Amino acid sequence: MIWEVFRQEARGKYHTHCGNVHAPDKEMALMFAQIQHGRRRPTHSLWVVPGEEIGEVDAEETTFGGTTDKSYRWAMTFNTDEDFAEEIAASQREQEQAERADRAGESDEDEADETATGAEATEEGESA
Amino acid sequence: MRVTMDIGTVEERAGPRQFGPKDDMPEEYRKAATRMIQFHANSEIMGAYLERPFIRQAPSLDRKLAFSAKVQDEIGHGQLLYRAAENLGIKTRKQMLDELANGEGKFLNCFHYPMDHWWETPMIGFFVDGAAMRRQATLKNTSWEPYAHAMDKICFEEGFHIKHGESILRELATGSRKEQELVQEAFDEWWPRILQFFGPTDDQSTHHDFASAVGLKTMGNDELRQAFLNAYLPKARKYGLEIPEYPRIHEHNDGRYEVVEDDLDWNEFWQVAKNDFEPGVAQIDSRKAAREAVAWVRESMETPSAGSSAGGVPGAAD
Amino acid sequence: MSAEAKDLGGPADLTETERAAVEAELRPLADDEFVLAERYTEWQVRAPTLESDLAISNIAQDELGHARLWYDLLEDFGQSEAELIWEASASEFRHATLVELPFGEGDWADAILRGYLYDTYEDLHLHALEGTSYPRIADRVGKVLTEEDYHTQHARNWLSRLCDDEPSRERVQEALDRLFPSALTLFEATEHEEAILDLGIRTESLADMRRAWLSTIRPYLDSLGLSVPASAEGEVLADLPEAVGRNGEHTEHWPALFSEFTHTYRELELGEPPRLMKDPDDV
Repeated sequence: MIWEVFRQEARGKYHTHCGNVHAPDKEMALMFAQIQHGRRRPTHSLWVVPGEEIGEVDAEETTFGGTTDKSYRWAMTFNTDEDFAEEIAASQREQEQAERADRAGESDEDEADETATGAEATEEGESA
Repeated sequence: MRVTMDIGTVEERAGPRQFGPKDDMPEEYRKAATRMIQFHANSEIMGAYLERPFIRQAPSLDRKLAFSAKVQDEIGHGQLLYRAAENLGIKTRKQMLDELANGEGKFLNCFHYPMDHWWETPMIGFFVDGAAMRRQATLKNTSWEPYAHAMDKICFEEGFHIKHGESILRELATGSRKEQELVQEAFDEWWPRILQFFGPTDDQSTHHDFASAVGLKTMGNDELRQAFLNAYLPKARKYGLEIPEYPRIHEHNDGRYEVVEDDLDWNEFWQVAKNDFEPGVAQIDSRKAAREAVAWVRESMETPSAGSSAGGVPGAAD
Repeated sequence: MSAEAKDLGGPADLTETERAAVEAELRPLADDEFVLAERYTEWQVRAPTLESDLAISNIAQDELGHARLWYDLLEDFGQSEAELIWEASASEFRHATLVELPFGEGDWADAILRGYLYDTYEDLHLHALEGTSYPRIADRVGKVLTEEDYHTQHARNWLSRLCDDEPSRERVQEALDRLFPSALTLFEATEHEEAILDLGIRTESLADMRRAWLSTIRPYLDSLGLSVPASAEGEVLADLPEAVGRNGEHTEHWPALFSEFTHTYRELELGEPPRLMKDPDDV
């Protein structure tokens, strides 16, 4: 049975996926995960979850955030000033960052389409 | 075996994001945190409930889209917060939503007042949300980690809400004479309630000391009120809104504001706080009716299916 | 585009007949999306659970966003958003009466089933526009279609769960009996239908779309234990309602809804609906 492992680096941070282990049950999975995924990286807590219980939907099956213009839900669309309160400026900075990351993701994909052969080669190189 | 942490240890260790579901927190902490987060979650729902008619009344396609998205976000915040409260182990989400429906669940004073007109919407969307945002930013450092995590996501979105609210305010304040007059009327009516957002001064607030001592709250009401007035009073003036004469606000030389507390109606405030204020009760009851009308769907989701793999997910609903 | 249909070019290139046909194709499309979204928003803060509230809110916004794209194409012909919606008269709207009907209190079965009937139609309609001879429509169809996938999935997921237990299935059946005649109004043609097809603005007739729609919804709803008022051969066993919408005639619910959503605009005597977003052509 495969268990997906999520690690929290320090108290208060988020658990993020870091790998998996083969184990017959939860106790054994926790035992193995401590060594396989917690022995080097700073670790405060680990979660293990049965791999088969994880559902997935990816960008090939759906378009997260939609395809038509959704700018109405972003702070940047409203041209009032955000700097009068630090918490609003901070919120807008985070939104701008999220939008940039989203755009960057798109442009990566475009490039990959154009140089499909090159992209495959890189993937092979990485897995080798 | 883990032993329940004693209050002394909690106070000693209290700091940003220091306690989570794995820690065996004393009941006093879990109850205080539940009360605080449940109040916050309830306020998201009741705020959204107050604003929902204005999705329909928004005067353009773009405004309608933004208003719908804003109300949607508030429900999303409720979802995050009930979850953060739920894993304190005191109440389930269903219990908290039931309490909100039957009038036991408490929520922000401002959401007990009816809102009838589009020109009132910035009073919530800009001033009340702005005050809430101020407080929420400090709660990123609360000691209950799931609450802080919820706050990360909420603060990320909230910038849109405030700017959306200010954008409507600006449109009205720079619009026709009629629009300017109407927005001033709305401001006159809402301003005292907005000032009461942060509650009475700290020495009158009953839950404050414990919540601060265990790191649930990181800033007192007085400090938050100051910060709010510093940012939002100039904004009101910028849009030509006249600050009502009462409640009196003294501006000291060091930039500090002092609201004359006796000018505010605290009887009404406490009536509101106890869910005894009639217009607020009407809001609670009509939301309750809407919630009960779809109880059959939640029941259906919880009914194990005859054959398909679809149904029967435990606790999927509500 | 059908073999003989030529590329119609931009709005300025159209003859009067062509323009009337393009408008007659776009107006129902825009109004359907707009009015359905308006109704969907009634579920905001009133849906069965918090998660389902978020989902239906999103669908409402998607549909409203689509309406915005189609109205924008109508604006090419000189009418503003104000004239098309906010200062229009209620009888100028050409949506099917299916989308204007109010929801009964707590009638989630109606919301889901109406969504299913509508989305299945919309999917067919949009596919019939993929080969349109009017490039301005062709440019936008893909984006809209992509978002409809989630809507169809949403409707089907809910329908299969609701039909899993008897009391809920009965509610869905009641909704079906009530909505089915109104759903047929989606396929009511305007006087421009022939021109729309001849010019290749749409590549499939409403009559053909109706057949395709029936052959999709009937077996599916049947498999859920519901009874559709149509025979296996595609014969419809229900009468059209009195008001079909496409000709400007609506039910008594429409003027009330129209008056509610134009209330602020009228009360503030706005001359222009506030814009926040970029023109769709500039995104």
